[in-house]
Amino acid sequence: MRPAIGFAAIALLEAAGCRVEVPLAQTCCGQPALNAGDHAGASRLAQRNIAMLEPFDVVVVPSGSCAATIRVHYPELFHDDPPWRARAEALGARTHELLSYLADVRGWRPERLALAATATYHDSCSGLRELGIQAQPRRLLAEVEGLSLLPLGDAESCCGFGGTFCVKYPAISNAIVAEKARNVAATGAQLLLGGDLGCLMNMAGKLHRNGAKVRAFHAAEILAGMGDGPAIGEQS
Amino acid sequence: MSAAQSHASPAAARRSFDARVASALADPLLKTAIDRTTNNARTKRAAAIAAWPEFPAARELGRDIKDHVIAHLDHYLVQFEHNAQASGAQVHWARTGQEACDIVIAICRKAGARSVTRAKSMLGEEIGIPHALAAAGIERVETDLAEHIIQLAGDPPSHIVWPALHKTREQVKELFLQRHQDPGPLDSIEAMVASARRELRARFMAADVGISGANFLIADTGAVCTVTNEGNAELTTTPPRVHIVTAGIEKLVPSTVHAMALLRLLVRSATGAELTQYTTFHCGPKRPGDLDGPEEFHIVLVDAGRTRMLADGLAEMLRCIRCGACMNHCVVFRQIGGHAYGATYPGPMGAVLTPALAGLPQSRDLPRACTLNGQCKEVCPVAIPLPTLLRGWRDRIWRDGLEPPAVRWGFGVWRFLVLRPALYRLATGVAVRVMPIFARGGWIASMPLAGGWTRHRDLPRPASQTFMQQYRRRPRP
Amino acid sequence: MSEARSAILAAIGATLGRRGDNRPAPGSTATLAEADQLRARAAAVRPQRIPGPVHLAFMARLTSPGVAATTEQVATLQDFPAAVRRYLAAHGLTAAVALQPHPDLLALDWAGIQTHSQIGPDEPVAAGLALGGIAETGTLVFHSSPASPTLFAFLPLHHIVAVAADRIWSGLEEYADAFAGQPQPRNVNLVTGASGTTDIEGTLVHGAHGPARLHVVLIGGA
Repeated sequence: MRPAIGFAAIALLEAAGCRVEVPLAQTCCGQPALNAGDHAGASRLAQRNIAMLEPFDVVVVPSGSCAATIRVHYPELFHDDPPWRARAEALGARTHELLSYLADVRGWRPERLALAATATYHDSCSGLRELGIQAQPRRLLAEVEGLSLLPLGDAESCCGFGGTFCVKYPAISNAIVAEKARNVAATGAQLLLGGDLGCLMNMAGKLHRNGAKVRAFHAAEILAGMGDGPAIGEQS
Repeated sequence: MSAAQSHASPAAARRSFDARVASALADPLLKTAIDRTTNNARTKRAAAIAAWPEFPAARELGRDIKDHVIAHLDHYLVQFEHNAQASGAQVHWARTGQEACDIVIAICRKAGARSVTRAKSMLGEEIGIPHALAAAGIERVETDLAEHIIQLAGDPPSHIVWPALHKTREQVKELFLQRHQDPGPLDSIEAMVASARRELRARFMAADVGISGANFLIADTGAVCTVTNEGNAELTTTPPRVHIVTAGIEKLVPSTVHAMALLRLLVRSATGAELTQYTTFHCGPKRPGDLDGPEEFHIVLVDAGRTRMLADGLAEMLRCIRCGACMNHCVVFRQIGGHAYGATYPGPMGAVLTPALAGLPQSRDLPRACTLNGQCKEVCPVAIPLPTLLRGWRDRIWRDGLEPPAVRWGFGVWRFLVLRPALYRLATGVAVRVMPIFARGGWIASMPLAGGWTRHRDLPRPASQTFMQQYRRRPRP
Repeated sequence: MSEARSAILAAIGATLGRRGDNRPAPGSTATLAEADQLRARAAAVRPQRIPGPVHLAFMARLTSPGVAATTEQVATLQDFPAAVRRYLAAHGLTAAVALQPHPDLLALDWAGIQTHSQIGPDEPVAAGLALGGIAETGTLVFHSSPASPTLFAFLPLHHIVAVAADRIWSGLEEYADAFAGQPQPRNVNLVTGASGTTDIEGTLVHGAHGPARLHVVLIGGA
């Protein structure tokens, strides 16, 4: 949907001193099957992904929910299968969400990066509650000269995306994202930033439908110096 | 019988869930009421937790106390029964809600009861005591103010701590003006409360039987603990000749001190206070020389699906101490309110309990209508892994074939593609070529198959090539 | 009825037995030991203990917004009737009070106040004597007995209660420990402030069914 995020991730990891490879055989972490209760389907996909990813030293994902799926939920899928559980746990220990990896593990900070704008940050729930990602994006963004982060009201509340929830129960999802959009607009910030594209598309889509002028980016794009490019829903 | 139980087919259940949700979302007064109650509860709870640095360790203790009791439930039930009987109480056991109601009605009949006062009990709602009393022709007087309000209105409860949160002051004023004997002008909430106090005073003293629930059953003394703010529990259970307690078997704790550890968690999580105004331990009937107190004290221990939960991997849900924090923080509850759940228990705890107590086919929307964001688990004072239990229900829904065929088929297609990278890339490549047909500028306002999304929000137009397509075409260094 | 009992206990036993972990037999010393360990952990996780004299912490808690009782302090129980008289005058109430039938209260000089021992459903004022208090939460403790009927704490609109300064426990567990091993009373009422409700639009109103006003008179503790 938004390749810029992938390229931003590569650029950031390389700037942090990593050699980056993108496995071409990847498709999806399997979260939709997991959340739908398709245990068998999710397991098959997880096994495929574990085999594909375990040769690497570290797996970095520009999404809190996908990283949590691999780190937290893959081992749970193989609760009754000790060999696969061990492989899942081993992989999980080496799997990280992008921003927390850069900040906590690589100790990386952006240098000589400027973007004069006001922004507000939404903490996606999986990253926040399953992976403890909250301070790290803010620490990184604080190093961007001219970027001023405004606090988001009720920041820890879910945006209503929830994967397939938003299309299975659209009326409820709409009510939730409408409230989130009001909170975002109320900050007066020019930019909406976050770490998960699903949440960002959900909020940006609602804001745009409402006629709001807030522009949404993945935080990785800002940190990779792509904040002067097109925001979500804009064309270059 | 709750609404969730009365539907013939899952499709009908879905339609009625959708209808209840739509009706709730269309009601701005309800949203105001939900916001007021839940915002207040969240703020107060946060302040109380912030003032208690040991809270994380305290909730681990709460979890461990409950897990210990659950792991020795038969032992503690027997110990409780023994000590309760030693205090002069009569202990009854009920496998089902119906059996429990039959026991309650039999006790009332034997006592020649014409009028029964009730203190708030969600278990009582769950098993259908109001319905049973009505069928037996026994007058039921709800004494908790919120329960009194919804009794007058004929509504089910919409929250386990604030059952009448959905009522505005104007609606309460109307009800009291119509139904109270001596309401007065009712131009303030104080006046309404005073009117209810006057209205119920004589009813407290005239009741033949008082029925309460229990927050805790204390195994080593046989005492029953109730936790209230109004004083109605004591006025319900002290004047009448007979006091009947109905309690779920999971309410046991080993001793008063264990109850105190849980009380600290319960009250802060529910209202942000340290203790409610009235924490009372009731132990047996009147004793020689007592000037007040019931002559008969009955305790009905109710199973109603709890032993099955124990066997079905839902033991952790039996830890629940009914604080309501989960629903106060749930983004879904905060939009749709309690009635939309169509069952006694709403919110996250209701979404886990209702399929267990009322059956999965009729209530399958409850575990599905959830974003799995995890805030419920974060605030639960006994660390119940609610999202994990909800996922467990989704696994059952899938295995039992309760997902609609269209959904299963769609997942089948998706699964087929994600296991075959070349086909997946082909499909996503086609998608990013097709979707822009529906775009205007950078956004799609409407697209076939995407109605669920585009009904309410715009969809960003995808880039003209997928990430993988672009990545593979990058010049190699 | 006993059929239900057997069925429930059997179902529980079967499930817990199936779990296969070395579950000790019901009532075994292992179960008791585990319960005791849990009880001991409560001490480490309870909110900070009150520094300084316990009765002062108790008074401070009573008047805190969350409890909202009123308080005063007198030297001895003999001074209690005068405190009641003052309260009645301050609130413009008739000098007629339901007096809790405790021998220590009955022995006091109630001149000027018509006292009666039967409490009516719409009793304006009752005067009582609490067994003690808990500083942690600003709570009064009542154990039911012939000298302390339950309804005295619930029927009156105004409840004026004497409590001895040397009968204040610092926390919930200290109160419980003071009565450990003694038989459980019929009714234990832990009363924290005046009756209240937030059931109508979340607005706090006092005097829902229980007393609207709680006035605590601390005896001693200079």
